[in-house]
Amino acid sequence: MPKIALSVNSQPVSHDVEGRLLLVDFIREVLGLTGTHVGCDTSQCGACVVHVNGQPVKSCTLLAVQADGADVTTIEGVSPDQGLNPLQQAFHEKHGLQCGFCTPGMVMTAMALIEDNPDPSDADIRHGLEGNICRCTGYQNIVEAVRTGAKVMRG
Amino acid sequence: MTDVTIGQPVRRSEDERFLTGRGRYIDDINLEGQARAVVLRSVYAHARIKNIDASGALAMEGVLLVVTGEDWIAEGFGPMPTKTAIRKNRDGSELSEPPRHCLAIGRVRYVGEPVALVVAETDPIARDALDLIDVDYESLDAVTDAVEALAPDAPQLWDDIPGNLCIDFELGDREGVEKAFAEADHVITLDLENNRVTAVPIEPRGCVGSYDPETDTYLLYNSTQNVHAIRDTLAENVFGIDKEKIRHIAPDVGGGFGVKNSAYPEPPLVLYAAKKLGRPVKWINNRSESFLSDTHGRGQTSRVQLAIDNDGTFRALRTETVAGIGAYCWTIGPFTPTGGSARTQGGPYDFPVMYYRSRAVFINTGPMDPYRGAGRPEATFQTERIIEYAARQLGLDPIEIRRKNLMRPEKLPHKTSMGLNIDCGDFPKVFERTLKLADPGSFAERAEQIKTAGRRFGFAIAPYLECTGGGPKEFAGVAFGADGTVSLSVGSQSTGMGHETSMAQLLAARLGIPFERVEYHQADTDKTPIGGGHGGSRGMELGGNAVAQAAGEVIEKASGLAAHLLQSKAADLTFEGGSFKDSGSGASVSMVEVIEASFDSERLPDDLEPGCLDTGSTFERGEISIPNGCHAAAVEVDPKTGAILLLGYWVVDDFGTIINPLLADGQVMGGVAQGIGQVLTENIVFDDSGQLITGSLMDYGLPRADGVPDMVIEYYEGAPTKKNPLGVKGAGEAGCVGSLPAVVNAVLDALKEFGVVHIDIPLTSEKVWRAVQDQGAHDPKGLIEGAL
Amino acid sequence: MQDFEYQKPKTVTEAGDAFNAQSDGSFLAGGQTLIPVLKQGLAMPSGLIDLAGIEDLQGITATESTLTVGAMTTHARVAASPEVQKAIPALAGLAGGIGDPQVRNRGTLGGSLANNDPSADYPAAVLALSAVVVTDKRRIPADGFFTGMFETALDEGELITDVEFPVAERAAYAKFPNPASRYAVAGVFVARVDGAVRVAVTGAGPGVFRAAEMEAALDKDFQADALEGIAVSEADLIADIHASAGYRAHLIGVMAGRAVDAANANVGAA
Repeated sequence: MPKIALSVNSQPVSHDVEGRLLLVDFIREVLGLTGTHVGCDTSQCGACVVHVNGQPVKSCTLLAVQADGADVTTIEGVSPDQGLNPLQQAFHEKHGLQCGFCTPGMVMTAMALIEDNPDPSDADIRHGLEGNICRCTGYQNIVEAVRTGAKVMRG
Repeated sequence: MTDVTIGQPVRRSEDERFLTGRGRYIDDINLEGQARAVVLRSVYAHARIKNIDASGALAMEGVLLVVTGEDWIAEGFGPMPTKTAIRKNRDGSELSEPPRHCLAIGRVRYVGEPVALVVAETDPIARDALDLIDVDYESLDAVTDAVEALAPDAPQLWDDIPGNLCIDFELGDREGVEKAFAEADHVITLDLENNRVTAVPIEPRGCVGSYDPETDTYLLYNSTQNVHAIRDTLAENVFGIDKEKIRHIAPDVGGGFGVKNSAYPEPPLVLYAAKKLGRPVKWINNRSESFLSDTHGRGQTSRVQLAIDNDGTFRALRTETVAGIGAYCWTIGPFTPTGGSARTQGGPYDFPVMYYRSRAVFINTGPMDPYRGAGRPEATFQTERIIEYAARQLGLDPIEIRRKNLMRPEKLPHKTSMGLNIDCGDFPKVFERTLKLADPGSFAERAEQIKTAGRRFGFAIAPYLECTGGGPKEFAGVAFGADGTVSLSVGSQSTGMGHETSMAQLLAARLGIPFERVEYHQADTDKTPIGGGHGGSRGMELGGNAVAQAAGEVIEKASGLAAHLLQSKAADLTFEGGSFKDSGSGASVSMVEVIEASFDSERLPDDLEPGCLDTGSTFERGEISIPNGCHAAAVEVDPKTGAILLLGYWVVDDFGTIINPLLADGQVMGGVAQGIGQVLTENIVFDDSGQLITGSLMDYGLPRADGVPDMVIEYYEGAPTKKNPLGVKGAGEAGCVGSLPAVVNAVLDALKEFGVVHIDIPLTSEKVWRAVQDQGAHDPKGLIEGAL
Repeated sequence: MQDFEYQKPKTVTEAGDAFNAQSDGSFLAGGQTLIPVLKQGLAMPSGLIDLAGIEDLQGITATESTLTVGAMTTHARVAASPEVQKAIPALAGLAGGIGDPQVRNRGTLGGSLANNDPSADYPAAVLALSAVVVTDKRRIPADGFFTGMFETALDEGELITDVEFPVAERAAYAKFPNPASRYAVAGVFVARVDGAVRVAVTGAGPGVFRAAEMEAALDKDFQADALEGIAVSEADLIADIHASAGYRAHLIGVMAGRAVDAANANVGAA
């Protein structure tokens, strides 16, 4: 079995894994970080989005071995010990979540989006969230949350 | 510490957990020593099972158990019965209900039907083992279309159910409608399809079960909307044990929309395996399996007929529907196309007379059960489509004929031909307010620009009227802790709607206590004696009223203690703003102080004990409420490609009293988005052999962020219902009810210069393009002809 | 998913050796198609050779006349690349419209071409721009590269290293996406390179193909109007639940016109 060594939420991690182990299963089952979710099996829904070397990716469509040597950040890694980060706070204020299942992936995607584009238009946001499906909110409040979060983060 | 009021947009308590990845969903639950289960599903839509050879799987290292239908029957387990409230055929006889066992017995009747359960040490081993089970099938002819299934020569699903007919239902005044049809200036006829779709909550179903031999009890964690009813089915119908022997808990549930309301076969299979193996068993569906095994909804073919006079007056409405419900009655499969779709026929219009007939038909597909709205979106769609169609046929203004026929408030209360008691509301006011909000006149310039660019602008308005449903009783328990916390346990359930906030808000507002002190509990059969879960937009109507009733009981109990503390008589006390006040002396004591005193032996009178304020209260609904409102949509359509873009969306809803407008908005937005999805891109398609073509998100098109418009949502709060003490009318499904006709009619408005008067949903770009090519060559009668 | 041996070579040569050592090896580029295929059990390779560690396969370089993109360059990088945006903006635009942001962060040019999904976007660009697919063994002109549905001229174990795109005078891509998967139902890449017009169609047929009649018309007059009256035959097109062959044929015409308009507008704006 290949041995992988990587950083997850700034903590060094090393483990023997089967080649076929998906990154999402490594994160959830091996590391016990259950904030990253699985909502589909065709790389559509985006509930599993994490950052690999700062970029949002679908961890269901990545092998754990592919993340060898990488910096992986999950929803747990962007959440303060207490309370919420500014983007999460905006989701809370704007009611940008309901059942919460898609939410970690949505937040991870939106954080990267804002990083790339600190002042996104609604169209930028809607296009940027194309890879994340939410079935509860109708997206409107998510878009508003991302716009608001971006504004707060710009200062 | 926060004081909250009813009507305040209180931000949600559950958000922090969900936003930081600390939600606890079914796949996050792991029990010590658990094995993993996977279901072997039928690959045939209809076949005899000649033999199942599981020896290859059982020989595989790590495989612990294989259960087949034969094993299941040998254990003596019973079938899961339908709980439909509609059970009678038109002739008074009972509907036909085939036995629904957890595994196929001798014959499979849909692709995806469970044939065996495999339990192994790990999920990958269990999945690998599926390939080693050899099932010898003898393929049979299948039928997946309900109209075809009624034909005399159609393949028969059940030997003892002739003609594949589950139920032939009617409601309303058949003769009165016939008379009105004979007298009216016109009878307009339209055949239409309400396409089959599925809810796709982003969290797939799953469960984890264990068995304790010492107490002979089961523990079931399940991603469900309805712990009590399903517990009862498993205990009483499947296993034949006391229901107290099963504790059923739903953790955080990642969306439901009706699809998690059903009693599915996997949880009892898991409990059985857990007992048999003496270790916990976990089962998680993946998305592909979900498409095959989750219930689907809508899927109705109807002929709708409107009797209308030259001046636009509606005289009568008649709808005849044929609906495939799958191979079994499932949980309440026969209800949606019958009673569920009948009640709100005619919407908020003043129809002197109506008639509805529907047949629910067995077909070789997976099951049908409620999906958000469960019949009311279908009824509204039928009503609003025939009105729009009639306006186009007769050259009448679609806005004017709606305005003319809306029921006037002075006519309320009114009982419709469908037996629906419409108690209150102001439909004309809501209609005009929506029109003003959307202001279609303001689009003139934009419409011109759109046309110059080669596209077309369209607008439509769709009033709706629906009704709530679900279990008629609900429990709320309030227990105070010495540390100041207040435990609130409610038998209704949130699967994302935010009850942890709204129910706590309601209790805190009623008692005048800090919101943060309330700890909310739900979806645990050990926490509430009864519970109706989530379904029929019943959360606030049942759960909320139960909480309000429990709050009233707490106030009643607390007033005695308050009187003791104030040295007054309880009768002299008033309770307002969280304080009891003696109207004579002017002395007052707050609820918070009374609660504190209830744990202080110094201040408690001798006949009371700590916990004396606790209560458990069961609320029983008198009548279902009548949410109503109006939707409007603006679209642009590209006639060259058939592509549709939503430009704007407006809603005015009458949900009676609004507890938390932020959460109500969320319900409407989500419901509208699901309606838009059904109209534009969502569609369940089977091929002729019964294979599901749209079995993944690669083919089943869910709305994305770039496909849903911003919505403007307002509430009409001038008509709180007297049917329940809070005055609420359920809000959970209404978004789905109004959006189907609003979007479809807006698209058809955009295409009117091409003569297009009807396109069946979903309005795929190809269908729209073809309709433009055909210049409106539409046959209004054709879909259902064979079944009439 | 069946287990497999995993290797991550550092050079193209090592990658070839690793492939040859497997009974049924498979190169792993971005994995955005391969991993879903493995998950569905539709492929069960004995070994995966991950190309992500090979520095030589990365990067974008531009000269006056040629844009060279390394096979392992991600769609996101192509989309955001100033070199690509300057040399062939249509290619940057195409890359920015593939899949979704997460897919673009992993998916690669080489992976897309080697897979040759009939509804993938990149093959249209490569064919229309008359690019050269450079492998570890040879240079394959675009016209000889795409040989059928999921079929290419690549030999067993042959590895794409770069793609050389001639800088076009005018180029644009227009696609009509599948509402569910977002793959192309019909996508048309129109390019004028060295005075010659090429039109490549993806999504609509069993593989990317050139529309000769359109090319001839646009050669004479590079305007959308020039395409009027050209009927695309539906004979060899795909039909599925999302679009019939006839509708796809129609969409090809519409998308081609829009691509030409966009190509002319791009120039106007520059």
